[in-house]
Amino acid sequence: MHRVRLGLVVLATAATLSACQRVDNTPGSPTVYVDPATSGPVKGVGIESQDIVSMTDQMMRDMLSQPRLANAATPPSIIIDSEYFHNESSSRLNKNSITDRLRVGLNRAAAGRMQFVGRHYADMVAKERDLKRQGTVDRATLPATQAQKGGDYRLGGRITSLDSRDPKTGMMQRYNQIVFEMVDLETAEIVWSGIYEFAKAAQDDIIYR
Amino acid sequence: MKRLFAPALGLLLLGGCSGIEPAPHCDMGRVSSQRDLVPGPAMVPDEKSPLKEMPLNSVNITDPAIINKLYVRSISARRTATGTVEVMAQVVNCTDFPLNAEARTQFTDASGAPAEIVSAWQRVHLSPRTIGNYRELSLGDKTVDGYLIEMRETK
Repeated sequence: MHRVRLGLVVLATAATLSACQRVDNTPGSPTVYVDPATSGPVKGVGIESQDIVSMTDQMMRDMLSQPRLANAATPPSIIIDSEYFHNESSSRLNKNSITDRLRVGLNRAAAGRMQFVGRHYADMVAKERDLKRQGTVDRATLPATQAQKGGDYRLGGRITSLDSRDPKTGMMQRYNQIVFEMVDLETAEIVWSGIYEFAKAAQDDIIYR
Repeated sequence: MKRLFAPALGLLLLGGCSGIEPAPHCDMGRVSSQRDLVPGPAMVPDEKSPLKEMPLNSVNITDPAIINKLYVRSISARRTATGTVEVMAQVVNCTDFPLNAEARTQFTDASGAPAEIVSAWQRVHLSPRTIGNYRELSLGDKTVDGYLIEMRETK
């Protein structure tokens, strides 16, 4: 009888231990947060967060592999903003979310291989420079320069799309094409180009705000 | 009756073998037998992970939905002109159906620690029985020494 009991204890312990070693393959606690790099529960045929994350990541990595941009003897001054990045697609989106992510990601990853000019802050800088030169404020700590920094290259690009709908089923399909180009600001030469394209099809289009 | 049964069974078996399977031929049994999952304790600093299932410089299909559908044909890596690392993987869709997979790469330094942020998921569209290419570039140059590619099905 004693042996049987001992055997049962050993069996129960072994079963418990083996259960501990298995993956608890159950869903985690529900949350409202979703990974911006993966499609969430609301999916449509337009440009979504995972597309923005993916396209900017791809462009950033590609630019860093181009010797003219990332291996120059003197790091080039680059302007990346949405001024010459046009949305001609049927997707409603704030194009700054693309150019901002690209600039921030590239600036952090470049680690001195490129320099970035905040042309969208030119007005802010000009005001402060005027105040310093008028003597309204002191000269602060950085040395004065003749002028604001100019750009060697600037980002241009275009977002276009092609929509098609099946009237019988209501199925909608959209081809999205996003072109990125880096332009020499002296010669207008396009020194780097990148393209990101995808097509999505869904039963009903969702509303993008 | 027994006399008839044996030849009939033989013919049936031969008939099953004679069908010509179009390329690619994916031997999933062999792929599975080469996996080396070693159970062990939690990872200890400065020690190699006991989990040999995800070795560095490889493609790891982490999604059970496609593990027996895709076959990694080749992996290669090279330095670009700026010193960044370019990894390329060729993946075969062994099925008769189109597949959408996605992959991302974690570039690591010489110690095996992450050298930079993990890349974004990049889609790989695979038509039935075709080869798809996945390509990724690192952000860093000299700091990058290895890589780990994860692949899953696009949802």
